[in-house]
Amino acid sequence: MSISFSDCVRVAPDVLFRMVSDEAILVNLNTEVYLGLNPVGARMWSALNDAPSIDVAYQALLSEYDVEPERLRADLEELLGQLLGQKLIEVRAEPS
Amino acid sequence: MHGDSHSSYRYCVYGIDIVSDTELTMPRHAHEPLCHVACVRAPAAAFAGAIEGAVFHPLSDAWQRSAVLHDGSAYVSWDSVGEFLVAADGRRIACRPAARCSPESFQVYMLGQALSFALVKQQIEPLHATVVVADGEGVAFLGGSAFGKSTIAASFLEAGYRLLTDDLLVLQESGGKVTAYPGPPRIKLFPDMASRFLDRSAGVHMNADTGKLIVRLDERQICANPVPIRAMYVLASPREACREPRVTMETLSVRQSFLELVKSTFNRRLAGAHRMEHQFTVTARLTEAVPIRRLTYPRQIERLKDIHDIVLTH
Repeated sequence: MSISFSDCVRVAPDVLFRMVSDEAILVNLNTEVYLGLNPVGARMWSALNDAPSIDVAYQALLSEYDVEPERLRADLEELLGQLLGQKLIEVRAEPS
Repeated sequence: MHGDSHSSYRYCVYGIDIVSDTELTMPRHAHEPLCHVACVRAPAAAFAGAIEGAVFHPLSDAWQRSAVLHDGSAYVSWDSVGEFLVAADGRRIACRPAARCSPESFQVYMLGQALSFALVKQQIEPLHATVVVADGEGVAFLGGSAFGKSTIAASFLEAGYRLLTDDLLVLQESGGKVTAYPGPPRIKLFPDMASRFLDRSAGVHMNADTGKLIVRLDERQICANPVPIRAMYVLASPREACREPRVTMETLSVRQSFLELVKSTFNRRLAGAHRMEHQFTVTARLTEAVPIRRLTYPRQIERLKDIHDIVLTH
């Protein structure tokens, strides 16, 4: 599935998420997959789920971290791919 | 130990009130139970009827079988040990020992694997762990079979410390404090370890396929009361440990701790959204309340002293 940065990300149904300290843990109750996110991954998760689009989350993260834009874009795409693969998120067209 | 009638015996193990229609080799402990489970003998026909048409867990084999039945009850059996039927609400275990199974071995399976089904159904999440008591607090060692939990515990027993539980651990978290509950007064050890640490060369074999012995402990070797948990140590696998020349300890992040605790569940056969949701909540609270560390140690008897030093000073 191709992801556009104009799309928005939302937690998939039946996924539980919890911040623990500055990290995060998730479980998909349907697939019975557990996942842990380190502090950077947890921050990316929060930004993606709070923002109206992936691009808004990307811009927010770019302003927070001392990172090359292309590197951040690649890391974000990799995380999105993993989360989609584990059915932990859904990607939808940006609401009008 | 007699209970309310001649055919009913009452015990408390892992904090669970156990009522059994046969006498068990356990003392009665008196503390407020977390839940109640009745263990009753049933004839072979009761099990045969219950599992008719059952779909067994994919990991079932000639030695062990399990299935969740249409009414929500769970069936589990071990060849040469016996079979168990755990009610959907977890409050009753029907059991039938195999013909040549020793009472000790049957009890280990009934109050271990079979009981774990009843606990999960009553929203208690047991862990695969062994706990010793130091200065009135529990120190838990987590890990799979053959990871060294019982050997480490035996070395602590030799040094004069007490055992709280071997193999199955029930914890309760309340207000950020975590309490561990005492298991049966026995430890499962290979004969050489039993002889080395406990000066015991005798014991009852766990089952026909293992050399492990069930070694009974006396009242001076056990802690019969719940204790607060000080720390939990996740043992590295034997494969990882053999690459390490010395004992090392690493404090795990909360995320790593969470995933290790999930891996250390005693019961991997019961799944479903309801169980996972509860396990998620309980495990997250535990990881925030107790320090969890990874312990890697070379499998050498002389290194066990190093583990004592680390555990007793942290």
